[in-house]
Amino acid sequence: MSSREAVRRVRLPARLTGRAGVIGLAALMVVIAGVVALIVVAVRGEPPPTTLAQEAHQIATTLRCPICEDLSVADSPAPLAAQMRQQISQELAAGKTADQIRANFVASYGDTVLLSPPHQGVGQIAYVLPFVVVAAGVLAAWMLLRGGRRAATATPPSRGRPDARQSDLSVADRDRLAEALARLREEEP
Amino acid sequence: MSVGVRRGLLLTGVLAVVAVVAALLVSGLRHDPADTASPLVGRTAPDFTLPELGGPPVHLAALRGQVVVVNFWASWCAQCHTEQPALNATWAKFRDSGVVVLGVDFEDDNADARDYIASEGSDYPVVVDANSRTALAFGVRGVPETYVVDQSGRIVDRIIGAVDAPTLERTLDLLVGGGAQ
Repeated sequence: MSSREAVRRVRLPARLTGRAGVIGLAALMVVIAGVVALIVVAVRGEPPPTTLAQEAHQIATTLRCPICEDLSVADSPAPLAAQMRQQISQELAAGKTADQIRANFVASYGDTVLLSPPHQGVGQIAYVLPFVVVAAGVLAAWMLLRGGRRAATATPPSRGRPDARQSDLSVADRDRLAEALARLREEEP
Repeated sequence: MSVGVRRGLLLTGVLAVVAVVAALLVSGLRHDPADTASPLVGRTAPDFTLPELGGPPVHLAALRGQVVVVNFWASWCAQCHTEQPALNATWAKFRDSGVVVLGVDFEDDNADARDYIASEGSDYPVVVDANSRTALAFGVRGVPETYVVDQSGRIVDRIIGAVDAPTLERTLDLLVGGGAQ
Protein backbone atom coordinates (compact mmCIF):
# COMPACT_ATOMS: atom_id res chain seq x y z
CA MET A 1 0.00 0.00 0.00
CA SER A 2 1.41 3.35 -1.00
CA SER A 3 1.67 6.20 1.45
CA ARG A 4 -0.97 8.11 -0.55
CA GLU A 5 -3.44 5.24 -0.18
CA ALA A 6 -2.73 5.09 3.54
CA VAL A 7 -3.42 8.78 3.83
CA ARG A 8 -6.67 8.36 1.89
CA ARG A 9 -7.77 5.44 4.10
CA VAL A 10 -7.53 7.43 7.31
CA ARG A 11 -9.42 10.19 5.50
CA LEU A 12 -7.24 13.05 6.54
CA PRO A 13 -8.57 16.50 5.68
CA ALA A 14 -7.45 17.65 2.25
CA ARG A 15 -5.21 20.38 3.70
CA LEU A 16 -3.15 17.70 5.51
CA THR A 17 -2.56 15.43 2.54
CA GLY A 18 -0.47 17.84 0.50
CA ARG A 19 3.30 18.29 0.77
CA ALA A 20 2.91 21.19 3.20
CA GLY A 21 0.54 19.10 5.30
CA VAL A 22 3.02 16.22 5.56
CA ILE A 23 5.80 18.61 6.56
CA GLY A 24 3.51 20.19 9.11
CA LEU A 25 2.60 16.81 10.57
CA ALA A 26 6.27 15.82 10.74
CA ALA A 27 7.11 19.09 12.49
CA LEU A 28 4.26 18.54 14.92
CA MET A 29 5.50 15.03 15.70
CA VAL A 30 9.04 16.33 16.29
CA VAL A 31 7.67 18.97 18.69
CA ILE A 32 5.59 16.36 20.54
CA ALA A 33 8.60 14.02 20.77
CA GLY A 34 10.71 16.89 22.14
CA VAL A 35 8.10 17.79 24.76
CA VAL A 36 7.75 14.15 25.82
CA ALA A 37 11.56 13.82 26.09
CA LEU A 38 11.72 16.99 28.22
CA ILE A 39 8.99 15.70 30.52
CA VAL A 40 10.75 12.34 30.91
CA VAL A 41 14.08 14.06 31.74
CA ALA A 42 12.37 16.46 34.16
CA VAL A 43 10.56 13.66 35.97
CA ARG A 44 13.52 11.30 36.12
CA GLY A 45 16.04 14.01 37.07
CA GLU A 46 19.78 13.47 37.26
CA PRO A 47 21.15 9.97 37.67
CA PRO A 48 21.71 9.06 41.33
CA PRO A 49 25.22 9.81 42.66
CA THR A 50 27.52 6.86 43.12
CA THR A 51 30.15 8.42 45.41
CA LEU A 52 29.98 10.64 48.50
CA ALA A 53 31.74 13.43 46.59
CA GLN A 54 29.11 13.28 43.84
CA GLU A 55 26.33 13.30 46.42
CA ALA A 56 27.92 16.24 48.25
CA HIS A 57 28.15 18.12 44.95
CA GLN A 58 24.55 17.32 44.14
CA ILE A 59 23.40 18.64 47.53
CA ALA A 60 25.53 21.76 47.06
CA THR A 61 23.84 22.45 43.73
CA THR A 62 20.48 22.64 45.53
CA LEU A 63 21.63 25.23 48.07
CA ARG A 64 21.98 28.98 47.55
CA CYS A 65 25.26 30.57 48.61
CA PRO A 66 24.07 32.87 51.46
CA ILE A 67 26.47 35.71 50.65
CA CYS A 68 26.30 35.60 46.83
CA GLU A 69 23.91 36.85 44.18
CA ASP A 70 22.04 33.76 42.98
CA LEU A 71 24.92 31.31 42.94
CA SER A 72 24.65 27.79 44.21
CA VAL A 73 26.95 26.58 46.97
CA ALA A 74 28.50 24.25 44.37
CA ASP A 75 29.34 27.12 42.00
CA SER A 76 30.30 29.86 44.44
CA PRO A 77 33.97 30.73 45.01
CA ALA A 78 33.12 32.43 48.36
CA PRO A 79 34.94 31.01 51.43
CA LEU A 80 31.60 30.58 53.24
CA ALA A 81 30.33 28.43 50.35
CA ALA A 82 33.54 26.39 50.54
CA GLN A 83 32.86 25.86 54.26
CA MET A 84 29.32 24.78 53.42
CA ARG A 85 30.66 22.25 50.90
CA GLN A 86 33.07 20.93 53.51
CA GLN A 87 30.28 20.69 56.09
CA ILE A 88 28.08 18.82 53.59
CA SER A 89 30.87 16.31 52.94
CA GLN A 90 31.52 15.82 56.66
CA GLU A 91 27.85 15.33 57.47
CA LEU A 92 27.42 12.87 54.60
CA ALA A 93 30.42 10.92 55.86
CA ALA A 94 28.82 10.95 59.33
CA GLY A 95 25.76 9.21 57.87
CA LYS A 96 23.31 12.08 57.48
CA THR A 97 20.95 12.04 54.52
CA ALA A 98 20.69 14.79 51.91
CA ASP A 99 17.34 15.88 53.34
CA GLN A 100 18.75 16.09 56.87
CA ILE A 101 21.68 18.19 55.67
CA ARG A 102 19.41 20.55 53.75
CA ALA A 103 17.09 20.76 56.77
CA ASN A 104 20.03 21.88 58.95
CA PHE A 105 20.80 24.75 56.59
CA VAL A 106 17.10 25.65 56.36
CA ALA A 107 16.95 25.74 60.17
CA SER A 108 19.69 28.38 60.17
CA TYR A 109 18.90 30.36 57.02
CA GLY A 110 15.27 29.66 56.28
CA ASP A 111 13.76 28.39 53.03
CA THR A 112 15.63 31.05 51.04
CA VAL A 113 18.78 28.91 51.27
CA LEU A 114 17.10 26.40 48.95
CA LEU A 115 17.46 27.11 45.24
CA SER A 116 14.18 25.32 44.54
CA PRO A 117 11.17 26.27 46.64
CA PRO A 118 9.95 23.62 49.09
CA HIS A 119 7.08 21.32 48.07
CA GLN A 120 4.93 22.66 50.89
CA GLY A 121 3.18 25.85 51.94
CA VAL A 122 3.57 28.85 49.64
CA GLY A 123 6.38 27.07 47.80
CA GLN A 124 3.83 24.74 46.20
CA ILE A 125 2.60 27.64 44.08
CA ALA A 126 5.81 27.48 42.05
CA TYR A 127 5.06 23.87 41.12
CA VAL A 128 1.33 24.20 40.52
CA LEU A 129 1.26 27.56 38.74
CA PRO A 130 2.92 26.44 35.46
CA PHE A 131 0.31 23.69 35.02
CA VAL A 132 -2.49 26.16 35.78
CA VAL A 133 -1.08 28.62 33.24
CA VAL A 134 -0.67 25.94 30.55
CA ALA A 135 -4.19 24.61 31.22
CA ALA A 136 -5.59 28.16 31.05
CA GLY A 137 -3.70 28.72 27.78
CA VAL A 138 -5.03 25.51 26.23
CA LEU A 139 -8.54 26.39 27.36
CA ALA A 140 -8.22 29.90 25.98
CA ALA A 141 -6.88 28.61 22.64
CA TRP A 142 -9.66 26.04 22.39
CA MET A 143 -12.35 28.64 23.13
CA LEU A 144 -10.85 31.06 20.60
CA LEU A 145 -10.70 28.36 17.92
CA ARG A 146 -14.25 27.27 18.66
CA GLY A 147 -15.44 30.86 18.56
CA GLY A 148 -13.63 31.40 15.25
CA ARG A 149 -15.24 28.29 13.72
CA ARG A 150 -18.71 29.36 14.85
CA ALA A 151 -18.17 32.81 13.40
CA ALA A 152 -17.04 31.20 10.13
CA THR A 153 -20.10 28.93 9.93
CA ALA A 154 -22.40 31.79 10.91
CA THR A 155 -21.29 33.80 7.81
CA PRO A 156 -21.18 31.40 4.84
CA PRO A 157 -20.41 32.76 1.40
CA SER A 158 -23.61 34.41 0.30
CA ARG A 159 -25.37 32.80 -2.65
CA GLY A 160 -28.24 35.19 -2.87
CA ARG A 161 -29.12 38.52 -1.49
CA PRO A 162 -26.41 39.65 0.96
CA ASP A 163 -27.46 39.63 4.60
CA ALA A 164 -28.59 43.14 5.40
CA ARG A 165 -27.71 42.71 9.10
CA GLN A 166 -23.99 42.23 8.31
CA SER A 167 -23.64 44.67 5.45
CA ASP A 168 -22.74 48.33 5.44
CA LEU A 169 -24.08 48.70 1.88
CA SER A 170 -27.18 50.68 1.09
CA VAL A 171 -30.29 48.84 -0.11
CA ALA A 172 -29.66 49.97 -3.70
CA ASP A 173 -26.03 48.85 -3.59
CA ARG A 174 -27.04 45.48 -2.14
CA ASP A 175 -29.57 45.00 -4.94
CA ARG A 176 -26.92 45.88 -7.55
CA LEU A 177 -24.50 43.48 -5.89
CA ALA A 178 -27.08 40.69 -5.85
CA GLU A 179 -27.80 41.22 -9.55
CA ALA A 180 -24.09 41.16 -10.38
CA LEU A 181 -23.61 37.93 -8.43
CA ALA A 182 -26.58 36.35 -10.16
CA ARG A 183 -25.13 37.28 -13.58
CA LEU A 184 -21.79 35.83 -12.61
CA ARG A 185 -23.40 32.53 -11.58
CA GLU A 186 -25.29 32.33 -14.86
CA GLU A 187 -22.05 32.84 -16.79
CA GLU A 188 -20.31 30.05 -14.85
CA PRO A 189 -20.05 26.78 -16.88
CA MET B 1 -23.72 34.96 25.77
CA SER B 2 -22.48 36.46 22.50
CA VAL B 3 -19.13 35.56 20.95
CA GLY B 4 -17.85 39.10 21.51
CA VAL B 5 -18.68 39.07 25.23
CA ARG B 6 -17.17 35.61 25.62
CA ARG B 7 -13.97 36.69 23.88
CA GLY B 8 -13.81 39.77 26.09
CA LEU B 9 -14.15 37.66 29.23
CA LEU B 10 -11.55 35.22 27.93
CA LEU B 11 -9.10 38.02 27.17
CA THR B 12 -9.68 39.52 30.62
CA GLY B 13 -9.04 36.14 32.23
CA VAL B 14 -5.83 35.57 30.26
CA LEU B 15 -4.60 39.07 31.08
CA ALA B 16 -5.41 38.52 34.77
CA VAL B 17 -3.39 35.29 34.82
CA VAL B 18 -0.48 36.99 33.03
CA ALA B 19 -0.63 39.92 35.49
CA VAL B 20 -0.59 37.58 38.52
CA VAL B 21 2.35 35.58 37.14
CA ALA B 22 4.24 38.79 36.29
CA ALA B 23 3.59 40.22 39.76
CA LEU B 24 4.88 37.01 41.38
CA LEU B 25 8.01 37.08 39.20
CA VAL B 26 8.72 40.75 39.92
CA SER B 27 8.22 40.35 43.67
CA GLY B 28 10.47 37.27 43.63
CA LEU B 29 13.21 39.06 41.69
CA ARG B 30 13.11 42.13 43.93
CA HIS B 31 13.12 40.12 47.15
CA ASP B 32 16.50 39.97 48.87
CA PRO B 33 16.89 36.72 50.85
CA ALA B 34 18.98 38.64 53.40
CA ASP B 35 15.87 40.66 54.32
CA THR B 36 14.09 37.52 55.45
CA ALA B 37 13.63 37.22 59.18
CA SER B 38 16.03 34.76 60.76
CA PRO B 39 14.28 31.48 61.59
CA LEU B 40 16.48 31.36 64.70
CA VAL B 41 14.88 34.38 66.38
CA GLY B 42 12.76 33.01 69.22
CA ARG B 43 14.69 29.74 69.30
CA THR B 44 17.60 28.52 71.39
CA ALA B 45 20.89 29.79 70.03
CA PRO B 46 23.14 27.16 68.44
CA ASP B 47 25.69 26.17 71.04
CA PHE B 48 29.41 26.48 70.37
CA THR B 49 32.76 26.19 72.03
CA LEU B 50 35.35 28.36 70.31
CA PRO B 51 38.90 29.33 71.25
CA GLU B 52 39.31 32.85 72.50
CA LEU B 53 41.80 34.93 70.58
CA GLY B 54 44.84 34.40 72.77
CA GLY B 55 42.80 32.89 75.58
CA PRO B 56 40.85 29.84 76.78
CA PRO B 57 37.85 28.43 74.91
CA VAL B 58 34.47 30.04 75.43
CA HIS B 59 31.38 27.83 75.69
CA LEU B 60 28.15 29.66 74.92
CA ALA B 61 26.04 27.38 77.12
CA ALA B 62 28.29 28.24 80.07
CA LEU B 63 27.09 31.85 79.78
CA ARG B 64 23.46 30.81 80.40
CA GLY B 65 21.90 33.21 82.91
CA GLN B 66 23.54 36.20 81.26
CA VAL B 67 22.53 38.14 78.18
CA VAL B 68 25.05 37.52 75.41
CA VAL B 69 25.57 39.87 72.48
CA VAL B 70 27.12 37.62 69.84
CA ASN B 71 28.77 39.88 67.26
CA PHE B 72 30.20 38.33 64.06
CA TRP B 73 32.92 40.59 62.69
CA ALA B 74 36.23 40.65 60.78
CA SER B 75 39.18 43.03 60.65
CA TRP B 76 38.69 43.50 56.87
CA CYS B 77 35.08 44.59 57.30
CA ALA B 78 34.49 48.35 56.96
CA GLN B 79 31.11 48.35 58.70
CA CYS B 80 32.69 46.56 61.67
CA HIS B 81 34.91 49.61 62.20
CA THR B 82 31.79 51.77 62.04
CA GLU B 83 29.96 49.84 64.75
CA GLN B 84 32.95 49.28 67.03
CA PRO B 85 32.39 52.39 69.22
CA ALA B 86 28.77 51.27 69.83
CA LEU B 87 29.91 47.80 70.90
CA ASN B 88 32.64 49.23 73.14
CA ALA B 89 30.11 51.60 74.74
CA THR B 90 27.57 48.80 75.24
CA TRP B 91 30.16 46.59 76.86
CA ALA B 92 31.30 49.42 79.15
CA LYS B 93 27.73 50.20 80.16
CA PHE B 94 26.34 46.67 80.63
CA ARG B 95 29.31 44.48 81.61
CA ASP B 96 28.37 44.67 85.30
CA SER B 97 24.65 44.12 84.59
CA GLY B 98 24.73 40.53 83.44
CA VAL B 99 25.55 41.25 79.80
CA VAL B 100 28.45 39.75 77.88
CA VAL B 101 29.54 41.13 74.53
CA LEU B 102 31.20 38.29 72.63
CA GLY B 103 32.99 38.95 69.35
CA VAL B 104 33.19 36.07 66.87
CA ASP B 105 35.99 36.62 64.37
CA PHE B 106 34.83 35.46 60.93
CA GLU B 107 37.06 34.46 57.99
CA ASP B 108 39.99 36.44 59.29
CA ASP B 109 43.69 36.28 59.96
CA ASN B 110 44.51 36.04 63.68
CA ALA B 111 47.30 38.62 63.51
CA ASP B 112 45.03 41.09 61.68
CA ALA B 113 42.32 40.45 64.26
CA ARG B 114 44.71 41.19 67.14
CA ASP B 115 45.88 44.41 65.45
CA TYR B 116 42.27 45.43 64.94
CA ILE B 117 41.38 44.83 68.59
CA ALA B 118 44.42 46.75 69.77
CA SER B 119 43.66 49.70 67.49
CA GLU B 120 39.96 49.79 68.39
CA GLY B 121 40.57 49.42 72.13
CA SER B 122 38.09 46.57 72.56
CA ASP B 123 38.41 44.53 75.75
CA TYR B 124 35.44 42.18 75.58
CA PRO B 125 36.10 38.51 74.79
CA VAL B 126 36.66 37.58 71.15
CA VAL B 127 36.59 34.01 69.85
CA VAL B 128 37.77 32.64 66.51
CA ASP B 129 35.38 30.74 64.24
CA ALA B 130 38.15 29.24 62.13
CA ASN B 131 35.97 26.95 59.99
CA SER B 132 32.86 29.23 59.95
CA ARG B 133 30.83 26.41 61.42
CA THR B 134 29.35 28.66 64.08
CA ALA B 135 28.58 31.35 61.50
CA LEU B 136 26.76 28.75 59.40
CA ALA B 137 24.83 27.51 62.44
CA PHE B 138 23.71 31.09 63.15
CA GLY B 139 22.76 31.64 59.51
CA VAL B 140 25.26 34.46 59.05
CA ARG B 141 25.08 36.08 55.60
CA GLY B 142 27.94 38.52 56.09
CA VAL B 143 29.61 40.72 58.67
CA PRO B 144 28.84 42.52 60.81
CA GLU B 145 25.87 40.57 62.08
CA THR B 146 24.78 40.58 65.72
CA TYR B 147 22.55 38.26 67.71
CA VAL B 148 21.17 39.05 71.16
CA VAL B 149 20.78 35.92 73.29
CA ASP B 150 18.70 36.22 76.46
CA GLN B 151 19.37 34.66 79.87
CA SER B 152 17.60 31.43 78.87
CA GLY B 153 19.79 31.00 75.78
CA ARG B 154 17.08 32.10 73.33
CA ILE B 155 17.86 34.44 70.42
CA VAL B 156 15.68 37.52 70.81
CA ASP B 157 17.08 39.79 68.11
CA ARG B 158 19.26 39.78 65.02
CA ILE B 159 20.85 42.92 63.64
CA ILE B 160 22.22 42.84 60.09
CA GLY B 161 24.88 45.46 59.46
CA ALA B 162 26.37 47.91 61.92
CA VAL B 163 24.63 48.13 65.30
CA ASP B 164 23.82 51.50 66.79
CA ALA B 165 24.24 51.98 70.52
CA PRO B 166 20.76 53.38 71.35
CA THR B 167 18.92 50.49 69.62
CA LEU B 168 21.12 47.84 71.19
CA GLU B 169 20.87 49.46 74.62
CA ARG B 170 17.08 49.57 74.42
CA THR B 171 17.00 45.82 73.76
CA LEU B 172 19.43 45.12 76.58
CA ASP B 173 17.55 47.40 79.00
CA LEU B 174 14.44 45.33 78.35
CA LEU B 175 16.32 42.10 79.05
CA VAL B 176 18.21 43.19 82.19
CA GLY B 177 15.43 45.39 83.54
CA GLY B 178 17.23 48.70 83.05
CA GLY B 179 19.83 47.68 85.59
CA ALA B 180 22.83 49.00 83.66
CA GLN B 181 25.30 51.04 85.67
